[in-house]
Amino acid sequence: MNLHEYQAKKILKKYAIPIPEFGVASTVEEARRIAQDLHLTEAVVKIQVHAGGRGKAGGVKFAKTKEEIASISKTLIGMKMVGPQTGPGGVIAHKVIISKPVEIAKEFYLGAIIDRDRASPILIASPEGGMEIEEIAHQFPEKILKIPFGFDGKLRSYQLLRLTKFMGWSGPLAKKGALVAQEVAKCFIDTDASLLEINPLVQTSAGEIVALDAKLSIDDNALFRQPEILSYYDPSQVSSQEAAAKEFDLAYIAMHGEIGCMVNGAGLAMATMDIIQLFGGSPANFLDVGGGASKEKVAEGFKIILSDPNVKAILVNIFGGIMNCATLAEGVIHACKAQQIKVPIIIRMEGTNVEEGKRLLKESHLKITPAEDLKMAAEFAVAAAKGKK
Amino acid sequence: MAILVNKKTKVIVQGITGQAGQFHAEQCIAYGTQIVGGVTPGKGGIQMLGLPVFDTVWEAKKALRPDATLIFVPAPFAADAILEAEDAKIPLIVCITEGIPVRDMLEVKRVMNTSQSRLIGPNCPGLITPGECKIGIMPGYIHKKGKVGIVSRSGTLTYEAVWQTTQLGLGQSSCVGIGGDPLNGTNFIDILKLFENDKETEAILLIGEIGGDAEEQAAVWAAANCTKPLAVFIAGATAPPGKRMGHAGAIISGGKGTAAEKYAAFEKAGATITRSPAEMGHAVKKALEKNEGR
Repeated sequence: MNLHEYQAKKILKKYAIPIPEFGVASTVEEARRIAQDLHLTEAVVKIQVHAGGRGKAGGVKFAKTKEEIASISKTLIGMKMVGPQTGPGGVIAHKVIISKPVEIAKEFYLGAIIDRDRASPILIASPEGGMEIEEIAHQFPEKILKIPFGFDGKLRSYQLLRLTKFMGWSGPLAKKGALVAQEVAKCFIDTDASLLEINPLVQTSAGEIVALDAKLSIDDNALFRQPEILSYYDPSQVSSQEAAAKEFDLAYIAMHGEIGCMVNGAGLAMATMDIIQLFGGSPANFLDVGGGASKEKVAEGFKIILSDPNVKAILVNIFGGIMNCATLAEGVIHACKAQQIKVPIIIRMEGTNVEEGKRLLKESHLKITPAEDLKMAAEFAVAAAKGKK
Repeated sequence: MAILVNKKTKVIVQGITGQAGQFHAEQCIAYGTQIVGGVTPGKGGIQMLGLPVFDTVWEAKKALRPDATLIFVPAPFAADAILEAEDAKIPLIVCITEGIPVRDMLEVKRVMNTSQSRLIGPNCPGLITPGECKIGIMPGYIHKKGKVGIVSRSGTLTYEAVWQTTQLGLGQSSCVGIGGDPLNGTNFIDILKLFENDKETEAILLIGEIGGDAEEQAAVWAAANCTKPLAVFIAGATAPPGKRMGHAGAIISGGKGTAAEKYAAFEKAGATITRSPAEMGHAVKKALEKNEGR
């Protein structure tokens, strides 16, 4: 689960990580009140969306007067941002963060992630902050330091020494920087994070180390023990299809093609998309209905797929293991009757209770094309999608 | 022979009194697996499916001497269940549970690294030696005793591969689902080694998917060590990049993780690759024929 910058900063504030004073506004009145309360005569105003590249998209502005804080907030609240990470539909910024500006002497990068190979959390640091880490890796590969740390969230003193030297911090700055690194590691573990990024981490002209931006993503599997973070979930930042899928515990990812897919199991779902492409079609989505899908889940899956206007055919591919083919058939029949589906449906199923499933579909007298195997299913689906054009 | 499990393997089920545990224990027994008992904390002393239930793995171990344990414990408690099984020195630990937090798995991995026990999974369908022993949730009837060793990160896609090799009459020696989580116990190379040394396995089918670089590592190992015909399918050639990983994740994998790179690694290793999930069975057949032609 991704958090907004202001949410991440609220969490970071509980640790000894210095953050410029800020407030969050969803109306102009709130923006005015923040300027008043924090005695701001100038401020940085940033849209709150789950996407990078806000600056380039015009979602970050500098307000030079108290009045500008209000007027800029007015234009940014409700702004629709379209960027490389948002998809063509874009995302709406319902809130802005209003922060006290700091005088920047130098920018750094500090982050933490899980390294799969080492099965260990690692701290990533670079003296070249302010640009994306991929770009730092591309331009200055030698200027990235990776330090594995324990799942107790502690960095050893020799690790901190190595870090501060690498970043070029000495004296009081080294002390402050080391403390921030230690707290980043601790926060990463405490919050069950999969990514914590402070970019840029800045050295101010007054000699302080401050987190100007923050990005925090949490392991979805750990949300059950992170109630505060769970309460930060913002459904407005994902497509309506993805939000609906989440509600019914379905894994859905929108694509740009025309063949809707409903599959059980993530591996088979990916493979089904692959074979559609091999036969010259293009998948409209990834949808994993999961192992123990119910009739209702299947029906909801259809609803989500059909809410995408580009879908010209639907391919259902189920290999029943835990999931029973008869349950799937009932779900499909239920959905077809309730939603008056107009696009062709191709169903391939195999596994547990397949004969009963096939019988139910046949006796339903619905216009459903059965396919004997995966290859046939893909061929039929691609042909059906093209025929509709 | 086959690998890891056979007719003699005695199995306990952790979480046997839960819905999934009970259902699948029953299915395994129906397949012929020697399920000898179960564990559910607080339910010790009762009977389930006519089998004794214990409070702790340690007690079950003392009474039943199992070779393996099958775990259906809910995700928040699953890491503890694995650690308990390891502590009781159960040789083979198979964890089906999906959704274990990464932080919990970090701890499990550290323990398993120096353990005598082997962990399969989590988030996997389990493993099976057709006609002998099924420790997992796969539908038994799609399998057929035979010569292909199958190893995969997926569940239902493995069933697809199994079904194809069954229909072609090749059958399977053993099938192992190593699980779809970023951090798991047994990896591809561990299983490839076992298949390489198993007399009944004449060819190997490896099914990978995008993300991480376990497949690339397996390809390097196979190039140097694998004498048996190897066929490979990688799922996710059409998957959009960056949907799961954060920004910094991309740098750690150093651009690794795409299907194209994984295929390239296996092509370099001399494996027979197929880009169609409908052709996995045929790819193994082709790999076998290619080998006979040598």
